Amino acid sequence: MNASAKRLRTVFVVVPCIFMIATLVLPAMNGLLLSFDHNGPSLANYKILFDDSMFWRALGNNLLVPFGSVIVEFVLGLALALTLTARRNRSALIETAAILPFAIPEIVILTLARYIFLPRGYLNGAIAMTGMHPLPWLSPRSPLAIFTVIVVDAWHVTPVVMLMLMAGLQTIPAELYEAARLDGAGTFATFRFVTLPMLMPAIVGALILRGIDALRIFSTVLVLTGPEGVPVLSTYSYSLWDDAQKPHEAMAASMILALMVTIIGIGGLLVARRFSRDDGALA
Amino acid sequence: MNNSLKAARVALNAFVLVAAVLPLYLLAKQSVTPELETFAWPPHWIPHHLTLSHFISVFAVNELRSAVLRSLAVAAISAMIATVLGAMLAHAMARSSIAQRIGFSTVSGIRLLPMIAVAIPLGIILATVGIYDSPTGIGLAIVHGAIAIPTAALTLYAAFVAIPLEIEEAAWIDGASPLRIFLTIDLPMARASIATALILCFILSWDEFGFALLVQQTNRTLPPLLYYYTVFGNVGPASALALLMMIPAICVVVALGPSLRGALTAGSSR
Repeated sequence: MNASAKRLRTVFVVVPCIFMIATLVLPAMNGLLLSFDHNGPSLANYKILFDDSMFWRALGNNLLVPFGSVIVEFVLGLALALTLTARRNRSALIETAAILPFAIPEIVILTLARYIFLPRGYLNGAIAMTGMHPLPWLSPRSPLAIFTVIVVDAWHVTPVVMLMLMAGLQTIPAELYEAARLDGAGTFATFRFVTLPMLMPAIVGALILRGIDALRIFSTVLVLTGPEGVPVLSTYSYSLWDDAQKPHEAMAASMILALMVTIIGIGGLLVARRFSRDDGALA
Repeated sequence: MNNSLKAARVALNAFVLVAAVLPLYLLAKQSVTPELETFAWPPHWIPHHLTLSHFISVFAVNELRSAVLRSLAVAAISAMIATVLGAMLAHAMARSSIAQRIGFSTVSGIRLLPMIAVAIPLGIILATVGIYDSPTGIGLAIVHGAIAIPTAALTLYAAFVAIPLEIEEAAWIDGASPLRIFLTIDLPMARASIATALILCFILSWDEFGFALLVQQTNRTLPPLLYYYTVFGNVGPASALALLMMIPAICVVVALGPSLRGALTAGSSR
């Protein structure tokens, strides 16, 4: 329209963006600066981290746990999305039940999960009833605890992946399925040659968004195992700040996580862009 | 082939029902069971004794009551901050491609920031301003407001795009200023989405754990309080508190259902 409309638009963009940047980005920048401060500018904080075996465990878990969690979420989410969008199988009850774990606050899910997986919790109670040996699901430093963390994380977030994939499935034109049926394609062939290629943009989008989120895992680990059980970078940084009272080292650890998320996130976005160019809009 | 698919479907549906319902049942059970019985081995699947004492203590203990009030206040204030700023951003994004590019890149940039990388240095800044760990929770409300702006903006963006430009142009010809057009035409037309944005941002704050844990160290909101109760073994009150915490979210999903589903995933973040 004209200059006054343009001026209003500028204000409308600048004010919210400055608010977000001032509240979230500037503190992170300050943290970056302080992470290089160890009684004066130095790399000492980072060197201390690299000499700490807990840091390397946290770094390893921070790759392993998100990777496992995203795979579980994706397989379960896809299975749910496919069954729930099949017309004969539509059920409001199942759909609501499938979404429920995401609607429940994360901390409530984790509280519950703790009572379920504790040594004398419900899961071991059920296992004992069948006469088998209870398992130490949350035992610190064990692969089993890593498995438990992955399962619980996926339990809360699978509905999100399911909803994203359902949205993708709904954009596939019914004519394609009709054509596949007329050509005599079976269930598997239809899935392989119609559903999967058409769903690819939604799959890539869901994997990237969930991957970025999964890398920042914090509360699942903290509530289930404490910061030492299955350390990840967020909880490692938290315990440096809260228990060890070493804020600058904590910031150094958090900056390494930020760097990791940024690299993987930007890489993911580049992949996503390629897919959206090939297949039309990205879900 | 078809039979085995059907069997898989039935199994999946049963799994979903168990994963959603059994844990809630166990939580509800714990909230009305005396604590001694909750620690019994093997665990009781059905309570042998019932008590309401955990729910009574939620409202009788000062710490719990003030956490409920603080959580409500923080969620309400942050939802308003995020919806007002998000509406501004969404409107500009819906009307100009440059604004759209700036908006989307800021929003996706924010998503890349890990909570812990922001929260620790932010605590230092809040402390110098004097609102770290404040009893009113104002520092946390500001942070929650900022992290909820993407959710609000993405929810409202679609609504503003859907408003025909002709309506704005007609008002412009009648002599209305751009601000007035926004306030008296665009906002009322988008009111359903504004309500959705307010609800989503409220819930985002109500559920948020990480920032709340770091910014409100002693004047806690519900999620960190629940964390301490869970970790330090107050099973009964923790379960009662957890049940109360679920009320807003469950109401929203059951009552608003399908219309909210797309929006729920739009701004989901940890």
